[in-house]
Amino acid sequence: MGKTAVQLAKSNNTGTSRFKTFFKELSKQKMLMLMSLPFLLWVIIFKYLPLWGWTIAFQKFKPAKDLFDQKWVGWDNFKFLFQEQQFYRVLRNTLVMSSINLVLGFVTAIVLALLLNELRNVFFKRTVQTISYLPYFISWVVAANIVQMALAPEGIINVLLVKAQLIDHPILWLGEGKYFWGILGVTEVWKNVGWNTIIYLAAITSIDPSQYEAAEIDGASRLQRMFYITLPGIKPVIVLILIMNLGHILESGFEAQYLLGNGMNLDYSENLDIFVLKYGMQMNNFGLATAAGMFKTLVSFIFLIAANNIAKRMGESRLY
Amino acid sequence: MRTKKWLQTGLAVVMASALLVVGCSNGNSGEKNSASGGENSEVSTEPVTFTYFGFGANKDTMASDTTIGKKLQEQTGVDWKMEYVVGDGSTKSGVMIAGGDYPDVISPVGELAKLLDAGAYIPLNDLIEKYGPNIKRVYGDYMNKIKDEEGNIYILPFTANVNGYLSPPDPSSTFWMQRRVLKEFGYPEVKTLDQYFDLIEKYQAKYPKVDGKDTIGFATFAGTAGEFFTITNQPMHLAGYPNEGGVLVDMESHEAKLYQGTEDEKRWLAKLNEMNGKGLVDPETFTANKDQYLAKLTSGRVLGYVNYSWQINDATNNLRSAGNDDLRYVALPIVFDEGIKDAYVDPPSFVNNRGLGISVSAKDPVRIIKYFDNLLTDENQKLVEWGIEGETYTKNAEGRMVMSEEQLTNRNDNDFKRKFGFAYFDYEWPRYGDNSVYDDGNAHVPFNQPEVAAINYTDGDKTLLEKYNLKTFSDFYAEPVERPWYPAWSIEKEPGSPEQLFSQRAGDLQQKYYPRMVLAAPGQFEKVWSEYLAEYNKLDAKGYEEFMTNKIKDRIDGKW
Repeated sequence: MGKTAVQLAKSNNTGTSRFKTFFKELSKQKMLMLMSLPFLLWVIIFKYLPLWGWTIAFQKFKPAKDLFDQKWVGWDNFKFLFQEQQFYRVLRNTLVMSSINLVLGFVTAIVLALLLNELRNVFFKRTVQTISYLPYFISWVVAANIVQMALAPEGIINVLLVKAQLIDHPILWLGEGKYFWGILGVTEVWKNVGWNTIIYLAAITSIDPSQYEAAEIDGASRLQRMFYITLPGIKPVIVLILIMNLGHILESGFEAQYLLGNGMNLDYSENLDIFVLKYGMQMNNFGLATAAGMFKTLVSFIFLIAANNIAKRMGESRLY
Repeated sequence: MRTKKWLQTGLAVVMASALLVVGCSNGNSGEKNSASGGENSEVSTEPVTFTYFGFGANKDTMASDTTIGKKLQEQTGVDWKMEYVVGDGSTKSGVMIAGGDYPDVISPVGELAKLLDAGAYIPLNDLIEKYGPNIKRVYGDYMNKIKDEEGNIYILPFTANVNGYLSPPDPSSTFWMQRRVLKEFGYPEVKTLDQYFDLIEKYQAKYPKVDGKDTIGFATFAGTAGEFFTITNQPMHLAGYPNEGGVLVDMESHEAKLYQGTEDEKRWLAKLNEMNGKGLVDPETFTANKDQYLAKLTSGRVLGYVNYSWQINDATNNLRSAGNDDLRYVALPIVFDEGIKDAYVDPPSFVNNRGLGISVSAKDPVRIIKYFDNLLTDENQKLVEWGIEGETYTKNAEGRMVMSEEQLTNRNDNDFKRKFGFAYFDYEWPRYGDNSVYDDGNAHVPFNQPEVAAINYTDGDKTLLEKYNLKTFSDFYAEPVERPWYPAWSIEKEPGSPEQLFSQRAGDLQQKYYPRMVLAAPGQFEKVWSEYLAEYNKLDAKGYEEFMTNKIKDRIDGKW
């Protein structure tokens, strides 16, 4: 069923006029366009061109060899990945740890931001803030060492718990798989909470102070002001960051698990990245590593789009 | 207004073009680098700095900041920026390969196969032929062992023995016992695993605390994946075999058999499990990191431990410097049963997969090979092992190289070794093997020189040897038996091969189940063991054994 000539002409017509308005708009904003051009180029060069590397997932890749000298193996790398028993265990660990980090990180950061916002003593506020975001700047190697020391049988945690008579014998915290997720969650919070708070504090400053004044006059308590003014005020930021973080759902971090992991908590600590390191990078199997990377991207993509759509449906602010 | 607008436009354009230029020039410079390698044939003594990367453990330094490095720089004009791997070696090598950007020379340690596979090294054959008279002298007898299948030489190994073979007076097993334990019980003979642990148990019962802290009966280091072999290698030694890395090689049939999943492994783990039940095994065995572990060893609370001496050099040296001989340890030739002959002393061997090679990124391979060649003169080998006459050693009337006590203390001191350069140059550079002898009859390694070994003994050492009626620590051990293929652990497995996949999987299983078996409640051991065995039997152990057997037979036939 073809279109009639009139319809075609019409659509053509609207097409050209749309085209025209587009160019009109474009020329009006040429300054903006010119300014975004470098960043567009940057995105293309550094974000899209490297996608070429995905072809490695379909090769038995040998480094330092031409594309034409590579051996193409089709879906073999993906098959190995999905047939490997360990893969599902590490996938579970990745998802669980990532969710724990997401939820814990979110809640603690928002709560800390709200509490900090209520502080009137600027000096005290600054001090708390500085102390809370300092751990963010130490490397994971050092941080993991601190955690290992603290959790050792003769470390401070065990000493305190024994002295407080909460436990009889020191517990080997890092030796019990079931504790690992909790330890990791707490460690991540300790390390990142201050840093994550900064963005919410910034969002809070954009809330019109007159709202607080009005609420105060109406007799709203501190808690009520927090709930009815501050939280709704930063809601768009919260939703936006949630969507962006959901895009990283398969990235539960690497260093923390790698450094705190050991034979005894392997079943709980090993995540996708460590698996890829062991069976991909360490064995020079770059194809497998790339295949896993592609899988991760795909899952992240689905999560990101889904979250964005849900936000859209619910009439919330969204990423795009 | 107008000018402002132009300024903005201009800036935007400049930024865009700058980005483009950056993008392009990156690609270009890479090509230029690799193209120029090898072309520059002029050799000068102009000062130049090359880069060195080692996959062994050490601290970064400039070669010229050490006395030895400075001397060598005076001779050749070459200085080195020496860097060492931090953290995981395989990650580092992966990044290196992925970037295609290599330091001038690389000491690959365990990463050789991967780097070779990636074409990171240049063949040295022609360079050696043209510029390496000393290299030819040192590696002459080993030429067929350092060439790959195509006849190329990529690395210069560290174990080429020159002028015969001098066996070390102080070898070490992996089983160490604190000396006060032996002293307490009147220096009894300790040969079997049961005797070893009985002694620890008795001592622990008598002295449960040291300086207010609990005595630790037995410790070993299995906290990081990379050094898990510390605990998995022991069944091999206990069964009377040297370190072949995972397999036992039959002396007659030359068949390689894995001991994983065998009675030997079970016996070792069952013993550890039993000891753990008695509270004698350090609970942190599988969780502590290396720093924590070494700190524990130097604290003197540990009665016995298992480790290769080269894993814990810093700790043993520190204990020695501390001066309390009772708190030091002695290595013993422990085996499963009385009837087994121990094989802790390495037979004469040549390790061909540890060495130093020149990378494809090297700017001036000719000068580097000349540096290596210069390093391999008798004088410079003396410099890197013995140091400077009158300063770090002296010659006695008979022309024997000896050391005063002070010189010896320095030679044992970690900080001094770094400052002088011994810690850098006496290994991981082209060198004479440890068992070499100089033309004048002096030993290449100071501690192999009987005169030095004798002074090196502390009063505690002497008492100990006296009590056991021995002259040197090597007398504790059985004479090594010649094994022409030794060591099997240096057989390279191709990256991504079934053998490598097997090793990885089997290693993963050990890492998962060893802690469970050792720490299991006494009645539960059998159950965990059969679980482990069931998992292990799913792997292709047969294929791996076949691969190793073939390689060993090749080596016996002279095909290295």
